[in-house]
Amino acid sequence: MSTAYQIVVCGSIVPDPLQTLEPVAAPTGPALKNEMMLPAVLDPWAGHALFEAANLAKNTPGSKVWLVALGPKAKLQQVMMTVAQKVPFELVALDGSASGFTDATETAAALADAIAAIPGLDKSKLLVFGGWESASRGAGATLQMVGERLGITDQFQGVDQLTLNADGSLEILERIEGGKHQVSKCAGAPALLGWATGNLPEPKNNPQVGMVNMRTVMPALQKAKPTKLAGEGLTFASVALPKQLRETQIVKDKSPDEIAKEIVEWIKK
Amino acid sequence: MNEQPQIERQRMDVDIVCVGFGPATAGFLTTLSKQLINPDGTPAVESATMPGMPPQVLCYERADDIGFGVSGVVTKARALRASFPEIKTAGIPMATPVGEEKVLYLLDPHGASRRSTALRLADSLIRATKFALPVENHALNLPWTPSFLHKHDGMILSMGQFMQWVGAQVQSTGTVQIWPGTPVAEVLIEKNGNAAVETQSSEIKIPLTPSGGESVRRPVGGASKVIGVRLLDQGVDKKGNPADGFTPGMDIHAALTVVGDGPVGAIGQQLDAQFGLPPGNHIRDWAVGMKFVVDLPEDTTLKAGTVLHTFGYPEPEIFGFLYVHPDRVASLGIFVPSWFDSPARTAYRYLQHWMLHPYLWRHLKGGKLRSWGAKTLGESGQHGEPHLTGDGYARIGEGSGTTNVLTGSGVDEAWATGTQLAEAVLELLKAKKPFTKQNLDETYVKRRRASWVETEGRVAKKSRDGFQTGVATGMMGLALAGLTNGKFSLGSAPVQPWKRIPTVEDYYAGRVSREEIAKVREECKAKSASLHGTLMDKVGWPAIPFDGQLLVSHQDALLMGGKVQAPHGYADHVVFQHPELCTKCGERICIEACSGQAIYPGENGGPAFDREKCIHCGACLWNCSQANPENPEHMNIAFRAGTGGLHSAEN
Amino acid sequence: METILVLAHTENDGSLAKTAREALHAAATLHKSLAGSKLVVGLVGDNVQAAANSIAACPATKYFGVTGAEFTQPRYGTDTAAAEAICKTAQATVVVAPATSRWARVLPGVAQRLGGRADTHVTGAAAADGKISVNRWYYRQRMESSQTRTQRPWILGIDPGSQSACDCGAGTASVEMVAVNLPDTAKRTTVVGVREPKADAQTIRPDAQLLFVTGAGWTKKQADGQTHVPEAEKLILGFLKASRASLGSSKSLVDLGGEGQAVLPFLSHLNQIGQTGATPRHAKGLSTCCHGEEPHTVGWRFINERRAISLDPNCGWARGKADVLYVADAFQVIAKVNELLA
Repeated sequence: MSTAYQIVVCGSIVPDPLQTLEPVAAPTGPALKNEMMLPAVLDPWAGHALFEAANLAKNTPGSKVWLVALGPKAKLQQVMMTVAQKVPFELVALDGSASGFTDATETAAALADAIAAIPGLDKSKLLVFGGWESASRGAGATLQMVGERLGITDQFQGVDQLTLNADGSLEILERIEGGKHQVSKCAGAPALLGWATGNLPEPKNNPQVGMVNMRTVMPALQKAKPTKLAGEGLTFASVALPKQLRETQIVKDKSPDEIAKEIVEWIKK
Repeated sequence: MNEQPQIERQRMDVDIVCVGFGPATAGFLTTLSKQLINPDGTPAVESATMPGMPPQVLCYERADDIGFGVSGVVTKARALRASFPEIKTAGIPMATPVGEEKVLYLLDPHGASRRSTALRLADSLIRATKFALPVENHALNLPWTPSFLHKHDGMILSMGQFMQWVGAQVQSTGTVQIWPGTPVAEVLIEKNGNAAVETQSSEIKIPLTPSGGESVRRPVGGASKVIGVRLLDQGVDKKGNPADGFTPGMDIHAALTVVGDGPVGAIGQQLDAQFGLPPGNHIRDWAVGMKFVVDLPEDTTLKAGTVLHTFGYPEPEIFGFLYVHPDRVASLGIFVPSWFDSPARTAYRYLQHWMLHPYLWRHLKGGKLRSWGAKTLGESGQHGEPHLTGDGYARIGEGSGTTNVLTGSGVDEAWATGTQLAEAVLELLKAKKPFTKQNLDETYVKRRRASWVETEGRVAKKSRDGFQTGVATGMMGLALAGLTNGKFSLGSAPVQPWKRIPTVEDYYAGRVSREEIAKVREECKAKSASLHGTLMDKVGWPAIPFDGQLLVSHQDALLMGGKVQAPHGYADHVVFQHPELCTKCGERICIEACSGQAIYPGENGGPAFDREKCIHCGACLWNCSQANPENPEHMNIAFRAGTGGLHSAEN
Repeated sequence: METILVLAHTENDGSLAKTAREALHAAATLHKSLAGSKLVVGLVGDNVQAAANSIAACPATKYFGVTGAEFTQPRYGTDTAAAEAICKTAQATVVVAPATSRWARVLPGVAQRLGGRADTHVTGAAAADGKISVNRWYYRQRMESSQTRTQRPWILGIDPGSQSACDCGAGTASVEMVAVNLPDTAKRTTVVGVREPKADAQTIRPDAQLLFVTGAGWTKKQADGQTHVPEAEKLILGFLKASRASLGSSKSLVDLGGEGQAVLPFLSHLNQIGQTGATPRHAKGLSTCCHGEEPHTVGWRFINERRAISLDPNCGWARGKADVLYVADAFQVIAKVNELLA
């Protein structure tokens, strides 16, 4: 049996993972130094979720993928030019902060409202995808709240694999402690999956996919709703980089044998 | 002939396809995008591929994002202001108006640089009379500089930030699309109306390096028309053979291909190989510009807008610059030209010595590296102007010979040619005329020839020829050409770069003995290391006092500054075309000069290439001492289209 | 007055995991610093009495439990219902829970249901002048904040390994059972099992004393101009077997494996540490053939004692980040280490 799904992926932009990050105090709370200048990418976990969504949609005819993204419009536009060539999706854009310091509850409220407002949304077909973690918040809190707001009580986090069973049920592998996976069987949609890395390689760039996506990306960005995340009730006393500079003893002139002996002693200590 | 098995490729038809999003294409798209739609939303001109719609205009950029890998500049910004009359530096990150300008002659505090007798004499004179001259911290502040060098009323820009700003402006019109991370591999050429498309396949053993003059023009065999481009194959191994997830590059057909891929761009090189250069023109002068973006120390006295240009140190041939952005940020770096005849010309180590010069170090000490990068500059100027148009294509920007080598200006000129082409294209679209060579000549080339880009470029054309003879002659030639509006110049036309490169032994003659060099070679071979570090130590360059934040190892500059990365599944874009030449090569200047340590001593004694470290500066294209046997105008290294590179937009 | 609830789930054998005791420690610390606060414990599992007894000597004044077969399996529908019921019954204003995979799945949802707020990656909570402030990490554990919130309940997911475990003794605890009305929708999912990694698979083992970090250098050309991947594989696996270390890897090395190249086949994304991988907590860490700067080194931010073997004395991964940097060839050193450990 083949079910058509409506797959909504929540994901926004984060600083390119290799960038050096430094917190600064802004009038509105903590922010990153040169935040708007840092190159941005789609959050790697959300990216996995998007690619999994596209793969699922491809294999279940009639399915469709949306990407709901809350971020500064100009940066979103830029990142979309990289993402839009990868897989087909329709963008729902919200113009607001993509900072890691935004409050998960407020972000979730904005995302859930945007999902609920997607025309023709049928909850019996709805799969909400997103990243299990995030390169900005690193938190894994927003998705659960989005799910709650949408009334989805079948939620999974750290997902590495989703298999559709013949009876329409879903088999899901979630990462748990000790490098193991918990295997769950869910009756079907609606469900929410926070993805770990999955198993799919990053799709290749496809210019035609890009052209098709652009028909919705630009209009979506133009009508992106300004979204304020006030951080009600949340006060930061400080945000700091950990003191990480250590006095490194550099051992240059010892033979491998001597070093090995020292290391073994240290390990056994 | 091409013996590759036929690969099924997808095809997409658009109206205009642009190659490379640098300042020239930005100028093109800025002008074009504003005029494709009427104020009421209807198309001002109609697409041929999607009737009823405005023309479909795409731009493919090889870097992973817009503004990665372009460089920081000081510019008079005449063309930029023409496009954006309301432009305010405050709206663009890191932009600021030009303030104080200084030109400094740097003396050598270590006595390690290689200076001619004339220069040594001049240095002694300066030191002897320093009480009367504006000399401080081993630097002479030139009391007078010719006006053509000034950038009054100009701007200091981070090109990365500026390009991101322009990219957003242009794309928000909704009329053009810029796709980063998508290299264009080949130009599609149709011959005599034959639908069969010819490309310069990488399998064919012809140099995909710039052609050098009428003598090497390949027989075209009748009328050839550019009908679009082919994107890079994905899912291939290092050699380009299909591997997991093989996705052949798509063919993008377009009525007009706009080539703005810079001085080392793959498409520009292929067009030169296909069509040759106009009689008398050649591309033989290059430089690599390497720079740091630095957070200056908190107590810095350097004001935003300050522009310093230096010459004389770390080697007389190396020029330096320091531009101060707002918020205590500076862009600084050096240019290492192809006429600096050292076979061990490492920009990275020289840049560190330059920063450590007492005049500069007092400002930089305590600073922190934010970003790092390098880029090849096409220094041939009008000498290297290719055929600007052909049926179905037009060339703009640095790769079309716009750089003014007298004033050291390139961005403004590149931008201007982009806007000129856009105006021409709009004129042709409105008149419903095809993009033939004749029509493009009558619209685009006519505008370009009538503009300041042309007249000033002509003045500059021979201004640098003096450097072929020596630095002193070069400086005099520069002044002479500048002050006489190009009527007079010194020196002779440049020779091919490979001809200039002496052997390591000859270059260090009198300073390091042949025996010592032989020993260094053995040591370095055992360590799989390049030679320049040891050789520079031997001639008196002091060790770099690494501080972990500004003075860092080359490897760390890649990580901390450039954030260099390369996606998997693409072919190597640097190819040693005749490996047998590399194994017997004694200079291996490719290894010494590689900006990212991506070319390293490999097996069999020849160089090897590590794509993950390449920053796409393209310097290997001209840092090679081996002539290509098929065409001695070229050298043995092919620099093709490739992905990855710098991930910083502050450059 | 704040009511601090320690929320924990039992293990399959009815015991409490170390992570639960760590959360208890964090909660007890907060309770101690906050005059007038109340500390209570909530437990979820098939049977929670043994678990409650095992910590009966802790300063908690009350124990709540949700029990039954429905609550043995880690499942969002039932776990949120259980946690919600306990929080409501206990009238909790601050909930301190270990961020195990089971609780991490549900805690933010519970906060949403209760109209409260949730913070994750919390490493400490204390009160000053009657005001609770929490330390947590942002941007993939690259920066640490100290923050307060006005909303309640405030649910804190404590990073495993970030606290010492509460060493309170056993006794007899009186557990107040909380009834949970489970709608059918809470049971649409069934946990059918746990898939173990292959017996010889090398993973991040949270319990290991030592984290062994392998960098891309293992698969790169060595001094003789050749790669030595089979030898690298043998050395790494030999070391892991002998030392019982947990295996972490740099992203570049993992990515190479993902590309299907013949390099270190035992590595997967589960081993990846760093900005887009894990930030495990171990007492010691030994990095080999790694090179990188922030953010590469984020992977061993929470390693207490760090040593590195690298040929590059300026290695950014090690200099200023490790306690000892051995400038040496890891192939030679590890071969010898394996001999000594054998």
